[in-house]
Amino acid sequence: MRRKSHLGFSSTLLLAGVVAGAGAFVPLEGQEYRVDLERENRIRFVSDAPLEDFEGVTDRIDGFLFLEGEGLGGETDLTSSEFYFEVDLASLDTGIGLRNRHMRNNYLETDEFPFTSFAGRVTGLTQESPGRFQAIAGGTFSVHGIERERSIGCSAEAMGADLRVRCAFQVVLSDHDIPIPKLMFMKIDEVMELDLDFFLSPADGGEGL
Amino acid sequence: MAGKGYKRMLHDRIFGVLILLATGLSFGFSASAAQDQPRRFERRIEATRPPLTAFHSTQAINLPTAETLGRGEWQFEIAHRFLPAVSEGSDAFWGLDGPVNMRLGLGFAPLDQLLVTIARSNFMNNWDLQAKLRVLEQQAGPLPLLLAVQGGVAWSSEVPERDSGDPGNFQYYGQLILNTLVADRLAVGIVPSYLYNVLLDRIDPVQDLFWGFHGQLFLTDIFSVAAEWSVGGNGAELEHDAGSFGLELETGGHFFKVFLTNSVRLNPSQFLVGTDLPFEPDEWRLGFAITRLLHF
Repeated sequence: MRRKSHLGFSSTLLLAGVVAGAGAFVPLEGQEYRVDLERENRIRFVSDAPLEDFEGVTDRIDGFLFLEGEGLGGETDLTSSEFYFEVDLASLDTGIGLRNRHMRNNYLETDEFPFTSFAGRVTGLTQESPGRFQAIAGGTFSVHGIERERSIGCSAEAMGADLRVRCAFQVVLSDHDIPIPKLMFMKIDEVMELDLDFFLSPADGGEGL
Repeated sequence: MAGKGYKRMLHDRIFGVLILLATGLSFGFSASAAQDQPRRFERRIEATRPPLTAFHSTQAINLPTAETLGRGEWQFEIAHRFLPAVSEGSDAFWGLDGPVNMRLGLGFAPLDQLLVTIARSNFMNNWDLQAKLRVLEQQAGPLPLLLAVQGGVAWSSEVPERDSGDPGNFQYYGQLILNTLVADRLAVGIVPSYLYNVLLDRIDPVQDLFWGFHGQLFLTDIFSVAAEWSVGGNGAELEHDAGSFGLELETGGHFFKVFLTNSVRLNPSQFLVGTDLPFEPDEWRLGFAITRLLHF
């Protein structure tokens, strides 16, 4: 009897574990968008420096947005939404190869931290006009291996089945342990302005909006 | 019996804790994975592999490196060699009173692998047009291997007792540049160079092969020390080999180089032929070069 009891207890726990574990992988009905790698995506940062401002640009962004239910423009439960975007930092081009190398090697350390990412969920969504939305994206922004909780405002515009997403926010370099050069010719502002402009397409050929 | 019961109970609890731990880890793992790279995400772009580099600037001091510029970049250069020796002391302000030989250069990269530069030195009014092509960039075990070829033509319009357009005022050269980087800090290279019409004061042009060696130790992200030595060939050149050593500071768009040298010649066809000055402290001259990288 005790032996049965022992197996029963263990089995129950095992079953609970399996069910609980499996529960994390149950797919939710909804809309999923992925970054359209074929479109003209543009990630840009602008830095103020005493001698000259400069910017870095790349198109190498990837990621997805998942909205439960009817998704954008319909009934959706934002608490079940999910997004993840990442940018290939070593591809940032400031126009000068030497500056790119300094940025990669001395400041962003892209050998160790090749991607910056933003993962979280949509915490606010309002429709401004047909096909135009304002969204608040809340989650974990990671760059240089340091994560910070951020809330970022973005706009989304429907373009057929696709979405054009634009976001603008600031990154304080010291928040992410990114050193700021002190020499006159190299000194830059501690705050970087970031602009994101990219396209999302329905995953698996979905219909989008 | 009581002991057995206790053991079984203990066993049950340990087993249960392990199961709970496994369950928790399962949740924990999925949560952690969701934060870094969610299950829904499948990476389609891999991290960009930056170009290999050894030296950072396009020339160490006088000798070229295998480095080129990014496509569309410009490079402006100004360089001086002060003619009085540093050993003349305060009388000549350690050479800074001048006069100087100077070089102005402008380079442009139509491709990532190709750099075209035109430069003028006031010494014999030497105009130099050169092209450098980076032909190989390979990781050979722990060492990057960089190979470039450079060719150029030089015209000196102020050669004594000659018309400016005299064919004897033209020189042609080709260089093979092999660089590597040791332990991420020490760039070394060898530059065999061929020069046609070695010395302009000869009636019949002679050709010669020269061997250049250069090294640069990167002390920090922006400071480095560099040295180079150029060895003459068959005796057609000047009496002494040219050597230089000094400091380099690099910023996001500049290189600042300050060095001591026994050669006061700047353009390649002039520098390669050696120098009249021995490489001795009393004969060292001060030199500097500043380059500015631009992108329009």
